[in-house]
Amino acid sequence: MHDLVAVVVNALLAAGLYATMSYGLAVIYGVMRIINLAHAGILMLGAYVTLTLYDRFGLDPFLSLVIVAPLFFLLGVVLQRLLVRRLPSGGGTPSMESLLLLFGLWLVLQNLAYAVWGGDTQSILTNYTMRAVDLAGVRVGVPNLLVFAAGAVCLLWLQLVVKRTDLGRAMRAVTQNRDAAMLCGVDADRISAQAFGMGTALAGVAGGLLSTLYAFTPDFGRSFLLKAFCIIVLAGMESVVGVAAGAFILAILENALGAFTRIPTSFQDAVSFTLLVVALVAFPQGLPHAFLRMTRRRAALR
Amino acid sequence: MTGLRARLRPSVTVAAAGLLLLLAPRVFGRGILNDIWSVAFAVVLASSWNLLGGLAGQVSIGYSAFLGIGAYTTALLALRGMQPYATLPLAALLGAAFSFVVGLPTFRLRGPYFTIATIGVGEAVRVFAGGVAFTGGSSGIRMPPGSFDFGLNYASMVVLAVAVVTLAAWLRGSAFGAALAAIRQDIDAAEALGINATRYKVAVHALSAGLVAAAGSLFAINFQYISPGSVFDFRLSLSIVLMPILGGVGTVAGPVWGAIFFSYLQIKMLSVPALRDSYLFLYGTLLILIMLFEPKGLLGLWERLPRALRRPPKEASAA
Repeated sequence: MHDLVAVVVNALLAAGLYATMSYGLAVIYGVMRIINLAHAGILMLGAYVTLTLYDRFGLDPFLSLVIVAPLFFLLGVVLQRLLVRRLPSGGGTPSMESLLLLFGLWLVLQNLAYAVWGGDTQSILTNYTMRAVDLAGVRVGVPNLLVFAAGAVCLLWLQLVVKRTDLGRAMRAVTQNRDAAMLCGVDADRISAQAFGMGTALAGVAGGLLSTLYAFTPDFGRSFLLKAFCIIVLAGMESVVGVAAGAFILAILENALGAFTRIPTSFQDAVSFTLLVVALVAFPQGLPHAFLRMTRRRAALR
Repeated sequence: MTGLRARLRPSVTVAAAGLLLLLAPRVFGRGILNDIWSVAFAVVLASSWNLLGGLAGQVSIGYSAFLGIGAYTTALLALRGMQPYATLPLAALLGAAFSFVVGLPTFRLRGPYFTIATIGVGEAVRVFAGGVAFTGGSSGIRMPPGSFDFGLNYASMVVLAVAVVTLAAWLRGSAFGAALAAIRQDIDAAEALGINATRYKVAVHALSAGLVAAAGSLFAINFQYISPGSVFDFRLSLSIVLMPILGGVGTVAGPVWGAIFFSYLQIKMLSVPALRDSYLFLYGTLLILIMLFEPKGLLGLWERLPRALRRPPKEASAA
């Protein structure tokens, strides 16, 4: 019983982080129909920028998110203007060109990190890194709690932006139907740049959060990219709530497999990659869609 | 008649090149032969990948899985006393068999979704190979002593390269190749014409995976030591994709030129210490530039060249 509580609590905490790192991918996909493979590189860069701010200026990793977020937003806008915008549009489906272009960008970022920070394994050790508190009878690391809180704040803020502001409305319009949105006077190109900026900012923040929990190298991020992709596939790539639910599903599977089976933890990543393939194949349009179809079928049978 | 001659010409060129390369050991020293081996290896990988990625348009970033399976099959069987070269067909078969496991589910996905799934498959295989005992774990395994024979390995790799390129040229002109092209251009239209797209994709995937696994087998024999870090490396998957894209995806000559250009660059870069750490930068920049300016790769540039030369520069005519 205690194991079960521990699994749920740990999964919930991990889900906050997973949702933050996945939502950036979902925003960019929704507005631009692009799969941002450079996401992994941005996560890694976020971790290193946080490290530099901590080492040079003694800035707490959670405080430095205030700097990381706008910085990466600008980076995203510049990248969109310089590279992504110049590609021919895929017309509704993500194009191979954009995938490979962003793949190239990821590699460049990786090499940049090697050149600037070297290939050694880095980590951020604060005075609360090793501390833990009791939560519902489960020992939980303080950084894990803070990461969850920061992730939740980010997602709530985003939810507000998407639901309540003109920018959010425009983004949703472009997501639903780019041509119709443009006919209504939405500057789709500008919205794309802002969406790419937002996605990049989220990835940067997620990278900063990851840096407080894990050690990292310039190769860092690939397994998280796959996890993020797995989540947005499960979630159907649309809503914040869906992404959060997808994140929770993945996190609980990982934690449960670690707690209840004899599968060694080194195979944990293989589990999520396998889940990714299964999810892609079984629910090509995401869980919400599959759920909707199921309820509809049941209604039709009645 | 001319049609037949045009179809035969690439095969003749390739066969002549192969013959010359087989005679090379009489002229050149070991250093140059090693470089030729690397280029032939690259040609096999690039041209095999191109069968699926180019002809059928299914971009996979998980090909190191097949290379690794080939290499491990040979190493493990050789350690149990089998003659290393006799394991080649088995390695190819296992690679092809594994391609079914990968392909049957993932080929239901289209375009970029398929690509992402292949990254997942490649990573899962690498993690698995590093974690189980019979592969020797992450520290890798060594081939049995006495299994090394450079002359034979060199000849096998050259023959394999010639065979793969000839096969690619032949496939491209065949009905099978036409079906693959239809799948690449518009999968819905292809299926409407009665082409069973999944069956064709699975078949060409098995073919190219088997060839890559055979190359992996020769790789294990040549380097005598393999580990998940060397044969299941993500960078390997990456260069397998990059070479055909660099040369000109979907053509017969493109992957060959891409492989030659790429391995030449890599050999040059590895000999310069300052550049050794910037190959990722090179790969990435090449990908970005190709996608932005010439998605048809080197062959596209080559086709553009005469047109650019024929047209007088605008500034000159204005002056």
